Amino acid sequence: MAKPKVASDWLAGCAGCHMSFLDMDERIIELTKLVDLRATPITDLKEPDIDGVDVGILEGGISNSHNEEVAIRMRERCKILVALGDCAVFGGVPAMRNFAGADEALKRAYIETESTDESGKIPDDPELAVPQHVRPIDDVVKVDVYLPGCAPHADAIFYVLAELAQGRMPEVNKLTNDWH
Amino acid sequence: MIKLTVNNLPVEIESGTTVLEAVQLAGFNVPTLCHHPKLKPYGSCRLCLVEIEGARTLQPSCTVPATEGMKIHTDTEKTKAARRFVLSMLFSERNHFCMYCQSTDGDCDLQLAAYDQDLNHWPITPAYQPFYVDTSHPDFVLDNNRCILCRRCVRTCAELVGNHTLSLEERGSASILVADNGVLLGESTCISCGNCVQVCPTGALFDRRSMYQGRKTDLTHTQSVCMDCSAGCQRVIKTRNNRLVGIDGDETSTFVDGMLCELGRYAPVAEDRTRVMYPMIRRNGGLQPITWEEALSVVSTQLKAHGSEDIKAYISGRQSIENLSAFQTFFNENFKVAQAGLFGKDESAAVSIALAREFGAFESTLDALTDADAAIILGADLVHKHQVPGFMLKRKSSEELNLVMVTEEENNLARHFTNRLVKVGNNFEQIIDLLACYQAHGECEQTDEIIANEGLRAHRAYRLLASIQSWQNPVVIIGDEFAKFENLESLKKLIRYAQEVGAKVIILKGETNSFAASLLGLELNPKFESSPVAFYALGDHHFCSDALEALKKSEFKIVHTSYMDAYAEEADIILPAKIWAEEEGHYLSTDGHLGINHQALTASEVQRSVSDVLSSLSEKSGLSLQSDWQAGLTEKVSSIVMAEPAVDF
Repeated sequence: MAKPKVASDWLAGCAGCHMSFLDMDERIIELTKLVDLRATPITDLKEPDIDGVDVGILEGGISNSHNEEVAIRMRERCKILVALGDCAVFGGVPAMRNFAGADEALKRAYIETESTDESGKIPDDPELAVPQHVRPIDDVVKVDVYLPGCAPHADAIFYVLAELAQGRMPEVNKLTNDWH
Repeated sequence: MIKLTVNNLPVEIESGTTVLEAVQLAGFNVPTLCHHPKLKPYGSCRLCLVEIEGARTLQPSCTVPATEGMKIHTDTEKTKAARRFVLSMLFSERNHFCMYCQSTDGDCDLQLAAYDQDLNHWPITPAYQPFYVDTSHPDFVLDNNRCILCRRCVRTCAELVGNHTLSLEERGSASILVADNGVLLGESTCISCGNCVQVCPTGALFDRRSMYQGRKTDLTHTQSVCMDCSAGCQRVIKTRNNRLVGIDGDETSTFVDGMLCELGRYAPVAEDRTRVMYPMIRRNGGLQPITWEEALSVVSTQLKAHGSEDIKAYISGRQSIENLSAFQTFFNENFKVAQAGLFGKDESAAVSIALAREFGAFESTLDALTDADAAIILGADLVHKHQVPGFMLKRKSSEELNLVMVTEEENNLARHFTNRLVKVGNNFEQIIDLLACYQAHGECEQTDEIIANEGLRAHRAYRLLASIQSWQNPVVIIGDEFAKFENLESLKKLIRYAQEVGAKVIILKGETNSFAASLLGLELNPKFESSPVAFYALGDHHFCSDALEALKKSEFKIVHTSYMDAYAEEADIILPAKIWAEEEGHYLSTDGHLGINHQALTASEVQRSVSDVLSSLSEKSGLSLQSDWQAGLTEKVSSIVMAEPAVDF
């Protein structure tokens, strides 16, 4: 049987969950014996295989139109989707923006910041993604495995991937539940 | 007794028990949030839902009374689904993102409940409705965004503290927690006791000084007894890396449900005086650092050079019994100094001991306040000084307690009670005569005269006096204003009256360890006078103006203190002292309970306790500092003190 293909990507997050993934250290070698690591933000391949992967992993929440596209594409190309970390599962730190709204946040960042002079301007290039209300991934696409944590512990990530690699659905219970 | 089954296990319980208590007695666990063992059942959070056969819906176990033949199931698919749904609703209502909350990791009952129910995501999207954050209070912050509307704080403020500051405004999901129906906390009637903060199950109320200083799991918890008055409240000291992070009431304590007041909870954490970091000597008009060896030699020489008449020594009532005992042995027994006493003007402990010679064990413990239906408070300030015993009265309803209060200064305790007779002044005899007269005859000819003379409110006085014969559990509380030797005769008369009518008597005895100090033979309320040699064992004591004046006029001034304060400024020799948290010691409460303050922090090598200093000085003088304070105390206590307690080693 061919090794299951795994792809990952990061959305509105801090990359900390991927750092935590790397924190599993030498176990990555073990993991690569079990799975075929494909597109990730930390490998050369950047987009998940067009003919699909077995497991898709998304870190971060949906904060703009670009995140939304990436999430939809990952969902279309993977069989099992893992929401990795608090931002992907709950909205996380970027969701703090929702209490004020994206417009207020942009104004504060680009115009009202103490170090900004009169020339401050909110970027409006049509190529840029459009900010949205920040949502967890399952507000946009169906999620199969939730792995909360800020960041989830490397042991928890290893457990989830090892289970998936061996064809079992991981149970994220008390042992791997750690939201802070 | 009632028979029922919990998860098919037969249990027999007393009637009047809730389903939750029955379940717990049967050895099962049901998650709760709004429920708190010290508070009355409330049933607002619905997390404790259980299945009861025959009931139309799931029932909140915390409020439903257990009845005969009930078949209760705590762990069915239906209850599990309901609990997950309740938690989803709670999480979706406000800002319950753990990653930027300071109460995460063991401090948050909401988070723990979610872990317990294996909730790994929120099925309902949060509402992102912003609520206001009240940062106006100097000790804690109220963040309505983190509130789950369980009302533990509101109930604690009302049921346990009796201050009735907190309440909820608005309805449903728009409800917010407010002080005094909509005043900022910092400008409200809040007395800053912080008990609401301690019971808050989430991060809606949190301490300013301990926030982000470490999660519950990072902190070391040390048992201690409060030494900011003599009530003897039990507390838990929270430290991290040898730093004081915060103080909690001991929830396992049976005394006033583990409550603390502002003095016990926040004052020690807010301490900002500068520590004394090395021994110092006054030379060439300034203070210069010296070694302990040099400092002790100078002190020893000075003590030896002067006769006992020339030395006066004082110690803080905040010091442990061990230190007080060492002080007593060193100065009174070995050096036979002119005066060895306590800082402060409070002689109530000595008065109590003097009264005991005539009346035997005449006092009751503070627990007597629990059942009191009448309180006769004479010269005791239960609003500012002994606050926690005050909570025991304030928590009663306005009709539940009859209050007679004579104090030198007005305080707001009286406003809690409808039936009251309040006098501001320093004479209580006329009032007691009036009470005695009504007790005996149901009337008194001189009533109008006394009311006019004493400046009482006539309609209130008449109403209170009319109720006097129906009092079941009156308690007389005597405080430092009247517990003085000059009032000894009137106090004797008062105790005779109390004993005749079956009233319990409590004398609030000054500072933390005044009672123990007095039993050991140290002088309370000494007349501070200058002397050729003055030894001030201050430790972490606060200001006492008379003692400072006497110090200024003394010739050679030895000050053993933790802080660079006004006393240190005057000293010829400064010896660095440990603070309360840095040494283990015993404390005898006003009602004879012996508490232990365990060491929570480690002092630097240079700071030494009173016992250490006196033991070094004893060695230099070839004297012994042997003393068995436990035996001494027990022997004396058993001969005089109190009905129930007393010393429990």
